[in-house]
Amino acid sequence: MSTQERETIELNLYQAHKKIYPREVKGRFQFKRKLAVVVLLGLFYLVPWLQMGGEQAILFDLPNRRFHILGLILWPQDFIFLALLLIIAAFSLFFFTALAGRLWCGYACPQTVWTEVFIWMEQLTEGGRNQRMKLDQAPWTWNKFRKKTSKQILWVTFALWTGFTFVGFFTPIRELANHIWIWQLGPWEMFWLFFYSFATYGNAGFLREQVCLYMCPYARFQSAMFDKDSLIISYDEQRGEPRMRGKKRRTENNPGDCIDCTLCVQVCPTGIDIRDGLQYECIACAACIDACDEVMEKSGMPKGLIRYTTEHSLSGKPSRILRPRVILYALVLFGLITGFVTAFMMRSPISINVLHDRNTFYRMVDSNTIENVYTLKIMNKGRETAQYQLSASGLPELSVVTDVDSDMLQAEPGQLISVPIKIRAPKKIANQRIHNILLSVMSGQHKNSEEVKYFGYKK
Amino acid sequence: MPTQPITKNKNFNARQVKRIFVRRLGIVIWVSFLVAAVQSMVFFALFDPVYLWQLSSWHIDISYWQGYAMGFACFWAFLFAAGYVIGIVMALPRAQLAKRIGTK
Repeated sequence: MSTQERETIELNLYQAHKKIYPREVKGRFQFKRKLAVVVLLGLFYLVPWLQMGGEQAILFDLPNRRFHILGLILWPQDFIFLALLLIIAAFSLFFFTALAGRLWCGYACPQTVWTEVFIWMEQLTEGGRNQRMKLDQAPWTWNKFRKKTSKQILWVTFALWTGFTFVGFFTPIRELANHIWIWQLGPWEMFWLFFYSFATYGNAGFLREQVCLYMCPYARFQSAMFDKDSLIISYDEQRGEPRMRGKKRRTENNPGDCIDCTLCVQVCPTGIDIRDGLQYECIACAACIDACDEVMEKSGMPKGLIRYTTEHSLSGKPSRILRPRVILYALVLFGLITGFVTAFMMRSPISINVLHDRNTFYRMVDSNTIENVYTLKIMNKGRETAQYQLSASGLPELSVVTDVDSDMLQAEPGQLISVPIKIRAPKKIANQRIHNILLSVMSGQHKNSEEVKYFGYKK
Repeated sequence: MPTQPITKNKNFNARQVKRIFVRRLGIVIWVSFLVAAVQSMVFFALFDPVYLWQLSSWHIDISYWQGYAMGFACFWAFLFAAGYVIGIVMALPRAQLAKRIGTK
């Protein structure tokens, strides 16, 4: 790269931002994208209103340090599940990127989804691309003021509703609605409501593609997951070039299929020209595919001048779906999901931790019996107050003794109790230096056990 | 401007230099925000903020929201400071750069 080129690139990077006016487009991929918008936003806005058993079905109750998920309660001790879930999400992202490119960016990313809605509102109030460009250049008139104001009203209302819903995931949404109705919001509810509204408004209304270009870490490292068999959106250069239009096209013999209508550039939400090749700015929204397909159809040429393809198939080589990296990602993902499901199924509402007394190995109770002393910690991860029974197995004639009252062996949801316990065994049976025994804690039909060391009577 | 752009191009005007600085500042703020969010999530899943404050040198009683908010703000501030200083230190001093170019 010559110095001259580098200078222009640096200058481009630090240029003032030029607003992009994406042209509206219809087509099969845009239909899928709209469907994704409706489904994802529908879920986001409706889920906090779901009730289950008299309480909110999904609620991340941070002040009480518990997550309600469809009737389950997760405690901070269950953090491993959240961590696993995040790792699974990351690996699915890697897997789908290796397989099908930036599906996430084009269809599912909140930035894309909310930007779609905000652009739709802009179209509703200000009209299509050309009208919007004219309107922005026109001097301020009553008409412009009216259009701009109605757009802002729509945007702000939608953003506030988004902020409200977001807070509704962390604090019971019905109470929150009530608080808003009588205008008695707590400081944190107020802060997060307006913060998230502002973030939505700014990101989807103004920053838009700049979030993808400058802020998104995924956009920077996604190329690491790509290979020549990953699905990308690409312009078929061999078929399209030499591009030409109008009179030149009619006189020239053997023109390429691209009629240079620049519609693919006009519809692009990040303002790039897909015909320049694969670029990191491309969020794979497939708007250019739909635009180009329509043009190809009108001019009587086969569709797919711009299409989902792979670098290998563009260069005439066969594409493979199963490659080492895809198989590897799939295996890791499968392992993680299996692990997560198994661990989650085996999750017990009783969490126990047993500590052996540090001072003595064992004590003599009478001439035939010895005992080991432990501190038992039980956390109730269930939904109801639980009463616990203790038992020990692994050696014959073991007995668990506690000096505390039975109401000390009772825990409310989320409560951690600590009880001193003694496990007794006949001297003749516990005659090894160390035995491994199993201590079980039961409450109703739930049971959890932990293996503990038992120090026996050995001379 | 502590973090002036490293470039052979001397023709940046004051406005462009300011824009470069603001953009770099924005990057540091944004990345430290992201990392602070993740850090708060992991940290507060493992430690109870209310209990931590009671254990602290000041023995203060706070609510959960205050605990989370202060933790997040602290993480953000410190990560920002780290990023900012890294930015300054990584931008080599101009004099040294000029010498390098001169002795080609």
